[in-house]
Amino acid sequence: MSEYWNDVIGGSKSLLIGLSITAREFFKPVVTEQYPWVVPEMTERFRGHIELIKDEKTGKPKCIVCGMCMRGCPSGCISLAGKKPEGEKKKALTKYHLDFTTCSLCGTCIESCNFGAIQFSKDYNLASTRKEDYIFDLLKRLEEQG
Amino acid sequence: MSIVEETRIALLEMFPEFAAADAAARAAADKIDDEMETMIDEMDSIEPATEGDAPAGGDDEVEAAEPAEAATEPVPEPEEPEEEGPRENGVMLTDHAARGTDIDVLCAPDQVVQAARIMDESGFFLEAITGVDWIKDDKLEVIYDYNQYGQEQCRVVVRTLIPRSEPEIPTISDVMPSANWHERETHDFYGIKFIGHPHLIPILLPEDADFHPLLKDFKP
Amino acid sequence: MTVPIECRQDETFVLNLGPQHPATHGVLRVKLTLDGEYIVEAEPVLGYIHRMHEKMAEDRNFAQFMPNTARMDYLHALAFNHGYCLVVERAAGIEVPERAEYIRVITVELNRLISHILWWAAFLLDLGGFTPLLYAFDDREQVLDLLERVTGSRLTYCYFRFGGVYNDIDDEFITGTYAFIKRLRSRMPTQYHALVTGNIILQKRLKGIGIITEEQSRRYGCTGPVARGSGINYDIRKNEPYSVYPEFDFDVPVYHECDSMARYMVRMDEMEQSMRIIEQALDKLPDGPVKAKVPKILKPAEGDYWASVETARGNLGHRLVCDGKKNPYKLKLRSPTFCNLSCFAEVSEGMLLADALAFMGSLDLVIPEIDR
Repeated sequence: MSEYWNDVIGGSKSLLIGLSITAREFFKPVVTEQYPWVVPEMTERFRGHIELIKDEKTGKPKCIVCGMCMRGCPSGCISLAGKKPEGEKKKALTKYHLDFTTCSLCGTCIESCNFGAIQFSKDYNLASTRKEDYIFDLLKRLEEQG
Repeated sequence: MSIVEETRIALLEMFPEFAAADAAARAAADKIDDEMETMIDEMDSIEPATEGDAPAGGDDEVEAAEPAEAATEPVPEPEEPEEEGPRENGVMLTDHAARGTDIDVLCAPDQVVQAARIMDESGFFLEAITGVDWIKDDKLEVIYDYNQYGQEQCRVVVRTLIPRSEPEIPTISDVMPSANWHERETHDFYGIKFIGHPHLIPILLPEDADFHPLLKDFKP
Repeated sequence: MTVPIECRQDETFVLNLGPQHPATHGVLRVKLTLDGEYIVEAEPVLGYIHRMHEKMAEDRNFAQFMPNTARMDYLHALAFNHGYCLVVERAAGIEVPERAEYIRVITVELNRLISHILWWAAFLLDLGGFTPLLYAFDDREQVLDLLERVTGSRLTYCYFRFGGVYNDIDDEFITGTYAFIKRLRSRMPTQYHALVTGNIILQKRLKGIGIITEEQSRRYGCTGPVARGSGINYDIRKNEPYSVYPEFDFDVPVYHECDSMARYMVRMDEMEQSMRIIEQALDKLPDGPVKAKVPKILKPAEGDYWASVETARGNLGHRLVCDGKKNPYKLKLRSPTFCNLSCFAEVSEGMLLADALAFMGSLDLVIPEIDR
């Protein structure tokens, strides 16, 4: 019987303690981010989808079309092509597609690139209802960035 | 005695031909140890004696030490497998730092239940069961990993080879209930039939799956 | 309370718990045969999120399998990274620089901390308490921000590499981690223990429920907090030390009550111990490189290797069989929850349905890790 009363008294006390803690929290400032109004800034190492890097001197992509990223990718989501323009020694990039539907953002492509030609972007607003929106043409993206 | 040594002796029960040799070797080693001990005791007792007796005691030591070395040598690895050729059944000690296991047992397929029983009695738990498809040798390997909760490390791996055309092996789920799910999983992936298993239906694959994806000749 | 009942077969009925049920934390289905509210038989049905990672490992080379490891246990992804790295490093004989080992320990322990915090939140949600979830997510968010700063991702990390880690930690991460630990230490007695652990409703629902005896725990191969809640002092970090864990001073919490409350207390105490390890590692953090020179394509010698790590849920083992080629011949994953869940059928017999849910929550199930 005494156990029963212990439970009742001790239990009520524990509930009151809990209520006092939640009541105190109630008056503390809001900790959630007010997302659409406050846009978070991505950290330096944030892993968005990959993007090409422009060579500042020539204004063209740094990529030399060696295909290491394509071979290193675990899910085979990179497809690229290049051809030699007339009168030049190096290959130029003509196509660089990223199939973001299978990309797992592991960074193997960036590690396997010996020329520092790709990096993670900081884009995160990528919601879409169509699958085709996730086949990124990174070359076009680079041109659009100017 | 360390737990690795204890377990090794317990497992040798499965191989009577090695067990007899091993027991004899150990008895010899123990005997030598005892002799050494008594001798050391004698030496201790001799030491305070007169100097004239000392050389005689020294001679005794030389004579006794030689057979001791000869007898202890074969004890640590009585069935060391040779590099070439398939490994013979038996118990082998492995280097924990290099392999992650301490004792490696290769046995006949019908001995796995006995092995499970020995492990159960020694207080081990079953860590995993898995298969390996050696398609070139036309064999399937079934691997049982045992471990124990003690502070000293001792991981035992029991492996056996079964023919690929007729993958059947007795179940150990009545000895170790945890084997129930592991065996179902292995059956899913390799098609190995665990004879006597109470409920051998797919666990991870769909319930109507008739394929075994981890076989090397599996085509999706 | 578990009351043994005499059941008449003609009065039982079958209830499917899941596969889409909030209390199963994913897609686990439990086929329950009930007599009234008492469980006569329970049969977990797995495989709803099975992806055959082991086959994927055979098709890819060693480095390419790395992102897969994080997708099994999404709550303690770094431990899976670590386990896979350990077994490949053991096979290929790669030495890891000391600083990298320290960074591994710090990040893995931070990850363990938030895994336990999220378990705590979700477990209480199962029991009907919503408020603790909000406090837990507040704390978890801090760690996610810290780990995002270092690893670049928030949940499915791919941070470890063979012979080290992807990149170094910075000062902001170190000060941030110290600040977080200070903050969590101040919140632990109130938001965690006073609000929840001392609560009479929680105690009544967990004490004496779901008893896994020491012998049952061994026969079913339970590890991690489930085994430690059954009075077994077994922690891979102590029993089979890997990485730089022997250099730290920490305790392994063990409770002998064998019930859900014991497992709850083990995890709460483990959070304290993780904080201790992180602090010591940050204090002692040596300088040096964070990645050893490792060839891009690994070809370990023939043979088979085993490596175990302690994840938040127990003993994660990798068995790697190599045949001297650039991809694994076979990779077996011994997932801890798979074994922990296998005792569910036996233990839940004769339990009330509501108690069985509390018991299931105390096992800390992560379904993608069971199904692999």
